[in-house]
Amino acid sequence: MALEGTLHDMSLSDIFQVFRMGPKSGVLILTREVDRGVIYVSEGRLIDAFIVQGPERTVMAASDEAVLQMLNWDSADFIFRHEIATDRRPVRVEHDAEWLVLEGMRRRADPVRSMPYHSITLDTELQLAALPSSAESGVSLDVDQWRVLSQVASSQNLRAICEATGIPSERAIRIAAELLAIGLVEIAPPSQPPTPPTRPDRSDLERASPAKSLEVTLTNAGVPSAGNRRPSVGRGLMNAIMRRVRDL
Amino acid sequence: MQQLKIVITGSFAAGKTQFINSISDIETVSTDVATTLDEEKEVKAQTTVALDFGTIAINEHVTLYLFGTPGQERFDYMWEHLAMGCLGYIVMVDSCRPAKFPETRNLMDRFAKITDAPFLVAANKQDDPAALPPAYVRRRLSLPPHIPVLPCIATDRVNVKAILLTLLERITSSLPDEETEAEQG
Repeated sequence: MALEGTLHDMSLSDIFQVFRMGPKSGVLILTREVDRGVIYVSEGRLIDAFIVQGPERTVMAASDEAVLQMLNWDSADFIFRHEIATDRRPVRVEHDAEWLVLEGMRRRADPVRSMPYHSITLDTELQLAALPSSAESGVSLDVDQWRVLSQVASSQNLRAICEATGIPSERAIRIAAELLAIGLVEIAPPSQPPTPPTRPDRSDLERASPAKSLEVTLTNAGVPSAGNRRPSVGRGLMNAIMRRVRDL
Repeated sequence: MQQLKIVITGSFAAGKTQFINSISDIETVSTDVATTLDEEKEVKAQTTVALDFGTIAINEHVTLYLFGTPGQERFDYMWEHLAMGCLGYIVMVDSCRPAKFPETRNLMDRFAKITDAPFLVAANKQDDPAALPPAYVRRRLSLPPHIPVLPCIATDRVNVKAILLTLLERITSSLPDEETEAEQG
């Protein structure tokens, strides 16, 4: 088993954050056409890395530079396998992951593209991330990054941060992406409750659904009378169910 | 005989059938068939096309049914049938396949429109040391703090029991106070 996906599913900066959250040890392999990037991780820390190319496996970059180049890849398949033996490898990566991510973001023309599943606009609500207690980082933020970070807890959205700090919107979006990438902030989940359910008309479902034949007694279990979305059960019955499950 | 229902949902290969297998009194009744799409075949050979279910007999009058939904979105017409009248539901997430997060998020939005029943998220495959932690799963699914995201190993009966109990506790705490109801009645 392994953690698998593409950089569209999960950015390299997110993968590094997950390494630290674990903390995890193992080997991360990225494949992009003829390039193959390998990063060794020991207890959440990046310890060695290289990029090889072609069937001859010519080494194109190593250690910190290899990680920085991989951070610039927009698309690649990745696979991460747990491997405790990496703990015995010599440490060749000088900087920590946060420093490398921030440096990688500085090299990118459009850092927001590095996390395609996050949409950062002026309406985006940010919150401070809950860092693991063991989190230590040698990253140093610039003045504008600190100004944005200091406003996150007290501002409703990125627009309010721009107004409070006077930082232009384009720059604020870039900074938000950088802080997101190193795991100092998160996009706040929606605070509004979900839209109240609208109960589908059963006759409509039966007409429209090819699964009409599956509408058997068992799928009807617990379906309440019209107007009720959930069956009527008392606390006594729920307590009986919980007792039964505990005894299983 | 009173029949109560809990739905186990989630994307393709998230571990729904295994979850039900681990806790059911009976051998899970399943309607699995061979997968047809190449990318699905790579993940598993059989998939649930209609539903599978297990049962837990509470007493001689009450049976709790556990229904697993088909994982692929092309069978999503079944979700309404299964979700209607459920006591609550569990959203299974494959913690080793971040590609499935958008599909899981869509599925959760669909369920929220069908039912207001309590639910929780089970971050499955936590027995893999490479698995994404529940905190990251929560972040990617944009879940507010009051929705539990629990570490899950669908093959582990004790863990499955604990997750089911957490959902049952949420369902119980969502019930209206019986004394208040009696007074109003």
